Amino acid sequence: MTGPRRDAGQAWAVGQPRAAAAGVAPASSVGSAGGSIYDLGYRNYEGPRLGRPHAIRALFAQTLKVCYGIGRGGRAKLAPFILLAFATIPAIVAVGAFALIRQVGGGQFAEEASPVRHDTYYEIVATLVTLFCAVQAPEALGRDQRHQLLSLYFSRALRRSDYALARFAGIAAAILVFVLIPQLVIFFGLVLSADDVAAEFGREAEFLPGIFGQALVLAGLLGGLSAVVSAYTPRRVYATTAVIVVLSVTVVVSRVLIDLGARSLATVLALLSPVDLLSATNALWFGSRPESRVVFMADLPLEAFLAAAVVIVAACVGILVRRYERIAA
Amino acid sequence: MPLITLDALTKRYPGVTALDALTLEIEPAIVGLVGSNGAGKSTLLKILLGLLAPTSGRATIFDLDVRTRGTEIRQFVGYLPEHDALPPDTSATDFVSHMAEISGLPRAAARERTAEVLRHVGLYEERYRAMGGYSTGMKQRVKLAQAIVHDPRLLLLDEPTNGLDPAGRDEMLELVQRTGTEFGMTVVVASHLLGEIERVCDFLVAIEGGRLLRAARLATFTEQTGVLAVEVDDGADELAAALVSRGLDARAVGRTVLVAFEDDRPYDLVRDAVADLDLPLIRLEQRRHRLEDLFAEAHSGEPAA
Repeated sequence: MTGPRRDAGQAWAVGQPRAAAAGVAPASSVGSAGGSIYDLGYRNYEGPRLGRPHAIRALFAQTLKVCYGIGRGGRAKLAPFILLAFATIPAIVAVGAFALIRQVGGGQFAEEASPVRHDTYYEIVATLVTLFCAVQAPEALGRDQRHQLLSLYFSRALRRSDYALARFAGIAAAILVFVLIPQLVIFFGLVLSADDVAAEFGREAEFLPGIFGQALVLAGLLGGLSAVVSAYTPRRVYATTAVIVVLSVTVVVSRVLIDLGARSLATVLALLSPVDLLSATNALWFGSRPESRVVFMADLPLEAFLAAAVVIVAACVGILVRRYERIAA
Repeated sequence: MPLITLDALTKRYPGVTALDALTLEIEPAIVGLVGSNGAGKSTLLKILLGLLAPTSGRATIFDLDVRTRGTEIRQFVGYLPEHDALPPDTSATDFVSHMAEISGLPRAAARERTAEVLRHVGLYEERYRAMGGYSTGMKQRVKLAQAIVHDPRLLLLDEPTNGLDPAGRDEMLELVQRTGTEFGMTVVVASHLLGEIERVCDFLVAIEGGRLLRAARLATFTEQTGVLAVEVDDGADELAAALVSRGLDARAVGRTVLVAFEDDRPYDLVRDAVADLDLPLIRLEQRRHRLEDLFAEAHSGEPAA
């Protein structure tokens, strides 16, 4: 929507005060608080107004930035970047080790024996991703409630549901970046250190659907759950604790149930437990054996876990939208 | 054509009616929305912004319904809330330009407008610092800046001088006046401080208990009536009755009889009545009809003006 002033002329026929104000440049400086000795006067904005789609994009981009502490001083960057570093270091070390071993000619053997591979990486960083969600989702959502910013957002070119969706998408994107960076380090590290780069790329490319598929499920599931918890828990400390509990308590419960012999109940819980679900989808994407004992024992096809994950993501988004439709602003 | 129209706008909470069938048209101007705390001022602003849904009735801005065309309307509306609304870990520049983008301005334009608007509200080098360290006055300026950064056509200010010291109040009121005159925005200022509103507004809307007391040009509020205060030692009630029987609008408040007057006629009538009743007259004083009187009348159950 460009030039709204003119094409909306009949809708808001104000005109007069604007015309009167145009070109007026009083020399007064309000507040006289600084060193300004001249004042250009107020200028009206005549440029484009991009409306709701732009507002949604801007909010999404800002959420991604908030999750990494960008634009909020050095301290806010500490937690996300330290976690990201911890998640990436094993990948860098593994890639370095491959490169060395390849030079002495033991490449194929080293790759198969290495504990750091595309299909095992989710298990390696699971705890770090959980911590990242627990610390950063409350930043993205709780901040607006703590500092009463919702009334400013909702009184702009956004709908309440837009706000909820843009924030969720931003959190999910931040998690996506978090899990993709180490995977891509391995990917490019292996490809570029190979003797035959093209052949290695062809071999590695088979992992790409798995890498991206698992990252998407992970981002949606953990992002959705931690966003819902954060939306209902403005206080950061409580939100962080609550996210950790929600993301891990079901695992503990299902383990206990199995040990007690209540297998069918454990199976149901496995379908609700994010850790087990992700273990199952990881096995599905990479065609490997699931790490989770519960998934292994539950007599269900792995696709069922993927379906359950999708349902949970959809439910989280629904709850989130509903929460922001009703929250007082 | 009016900028804002309210048609039997009603908002009920369980047990409380915040707005009671408010019908009103607001033309482009600097409009003071006055009423005591809890009169329904904030509720009205929030309904206009789409932050609250009305129980019944209709409100339009730019001839668009606030319930269905909210995102379009709000590209051209600025809002300064009554409460604190600033993230302490962010700088004024980053915050205001983010808010400009959420209002639909492209990124580059948002940055440019932010620099300009922060200068207009009187924030200079501080604008790159985190807002947590700002004084109340500076915070209030940032709140105003975020409300005008997208050059709205309508600006809704909820108690803009809240928490400011006298000097800060003066500066804020001067800014409010500039946004209305020089910046060319229609401004609605909600306040319970009549003295402040009187200084900046051309139009006044008085509400009380969710009902409209009066809406008129400020000039007509003050010029239209004077009040003659007649203080007597005793017999105030008799004097009031005598004056009413002579066709004056008079009422006794303690030992004083307040007589509304538009011309010089009451002076003679008061003199005669006092003489007839043989009352000890202490003082005869002409009072400017002040805005507070509107509310005094409303509270004592009489219709306003």
